[in-house]
Amino acid sequence: MAATAARISPSLRAQAPQTTPDDIQIDIRNVGKVYGTKASDDPVVALDGVSLRIRRGEFISLLGPSGCGKSTLLGIIAGFQAASSGQILQDGRPIARPDASRTVVFQDYALFGWMTVQQNIEFGLKAKGMAKAERAEIARALIATVHLTGFEDKYPHQMSGGMKQRAAIARALAPDPDILLMDEPFGALDAQTRVLLQEEIARISSEAGKTVIFVTHGIDEAVFLADRVVVMSPRPGRVREEVLVPLPRPRTAEMRSDPWFVSTVNDLWETLKPEWQKGE
Amino acid sequence: MPECMNEPSAGDAKEDVLMEARADAGALAAAPAQRKSAAKPLPLARLLANGSVRAGLGLAAFFAFWQAVSGLGIVDGFLLPSPLAVAQALWDLALDGSLWIHLGASLQRVAVGFLLACIAGLALGLVCGWWRTVSDFVRPVVEALRPIPPLAWIPITILWFGLGDAASYFLVFLGAVFPAFVATYTAVRGLDRNQMNAALCLGAKPWQLFWDVLIPASLPIILPGLRIALGVGWMCVVTAELIAAQTGLGYLIQQSRMLFQINNVVAGMVTIGLVGFAMSAILERIERRVNAWAPSERN
Repeated sequence: MAATAARISPSLRAQAPQTTPDDIQIDIRNVGKVYGTKASDDPVVALDGVSLRIRRGEFISLLGPSGCGKSTLLGIIAGFQAASSGQILQDGRPIARPDASRTVVFQDYALFGWMTVQQNIEFGLKAKGMAKAERAEIARALIATVHLTGFEDKYPHQMSGGMKQRAAIARALAPDPDILLMDEPFGALDAQTRVLLQEEIARISSEAGKTVIFVTHGIDEAVFLADRVVVMSPRPGRVREEVLVPLPRPRTAEMRSDPWFVSTVNDLWETLKPEWQKGE
Repeated sequence: MPECMNEPSAGDAKEDVLMEARADAGALAAAPAQRKSAAKPLPLARLLANGSVRAGLGLAAFFAFWQAVSGLGIVDGFLLPSPLAVAQALWDLALDGSLWIHLGASLQRVAVGFLLACIAGLALGLVCGWWRTVSDFVRPVVEALRPIPPLAWIPITILWFGLGDAASYFLVFLGAVFPAFVATYTAVRGLDRNQMNAALCLGAKPWQLFWDVLIPASLPIILPGLRIALGVGWMCVVTAELIAAQTGLGYLIQQSRMLFQINNVVAGMVTIGLVGFAMSAILERIERRVNAWAPSERN
């Protein structure tokens, strides 16, 4: 019952964290994406009329079953692909191509295997033309932030999945982006590592004060991390509902047993079950 | 209070990392140690476990078999000279300097032709791999030219370049350019989309995308392709020299055949084999060093 009350209630929206309601950083306007535009193909509507306004510093979880277009939406926000209709504005300007103000953490890490951890993290700083000493210093600090000190000179294939994802997170943070885009970043990790990294990202994101868009199909993960959970439904991909999360920051492990948390996760599961079955 | 509650989790995470670190270090240290201790009881077994020793034994067995077949008169010594006779011929050729002249000529030709093939194959492969449209135009032409064996090109090569180095360069080029192209094209085509996207969203400049991502990511496929290209080029240079040259190992073989110096024919063949083997081994070593990061190379 408490969960239902929390949903899209104006009183809760007003106390959304850190930002003023009109400080809109990303404005997703009626975005659609259709695949297979050739006459021979059956067009697939991946996204249909998605609108979403994201405030500066807000942590958004995009939650939904496979095929709901959440990763496609993230790809369009990143600038990797273009929307078929509608547009996305970042601080009022349309997004046209990838940019270091929006960095991405991928499910498969996408680390550069021929570079050490240090070199991977310095990549975005090198792109900025930063001097070597300064690059090394920033990378070292980030390596400490993600608890990889001592692994600077290791190559990705020498590390576990959890460590690779820590390195990838540090690499994405290095160019000091405004927005961090995370595409099911913990999907390939074992359950224990996933929980640890969820707590890490909760800590890092509130310390760094970045806007985060976090794509996931894990309900508890979505609720645990986000200020606002945007639930999407498949075929065609649409925003189905939004859930505001009133839990304070920083998020800690104990909040997983908070009655509100438990009932919201259960509630979401009950309402999403049919969709998940459809998505299977 | 929340910060206090956060403490244990951060500590856990650190421990998690440390444990992983120790486990990693342990695994790295344990692997060679285990191999050694397992082989300890028998020195002979340890010797046989060595790859180079096995290679040497394989070659020795081959030459012993060859020596037995021709030395015991199973096959006429004129049709198949014994390894010792061939070694004697090689020694004589080396002493009078002709071996080095022919070998040098062949190596110089394969070097020039292979270099040209690398430049063309890499450039075209990169362009076709990167731009789908270009590849749509170019690939059918390449695929139609590729099955024509270099041998079939010889008449027209002589017509175009006469009997000389240029003809050999061209034939080596023809043999080597296709493996170089195919490897490069395949490598660029198969680049990990996410890695490219990661580089782009980190603000990679075009030069960085090329030198720091595209090239190193492609090398695990390109380098073996170049090794094959060099092998084909080496075969082509000999083929070219059989017909269209006045020096080189191919010419040595051809000339010796006409003088019925079968020992020298086989000596030329042995030289070709050994040099090709050495080239391949050297390139493989370079490959292993450059691609040390690629897990498939490690296993």
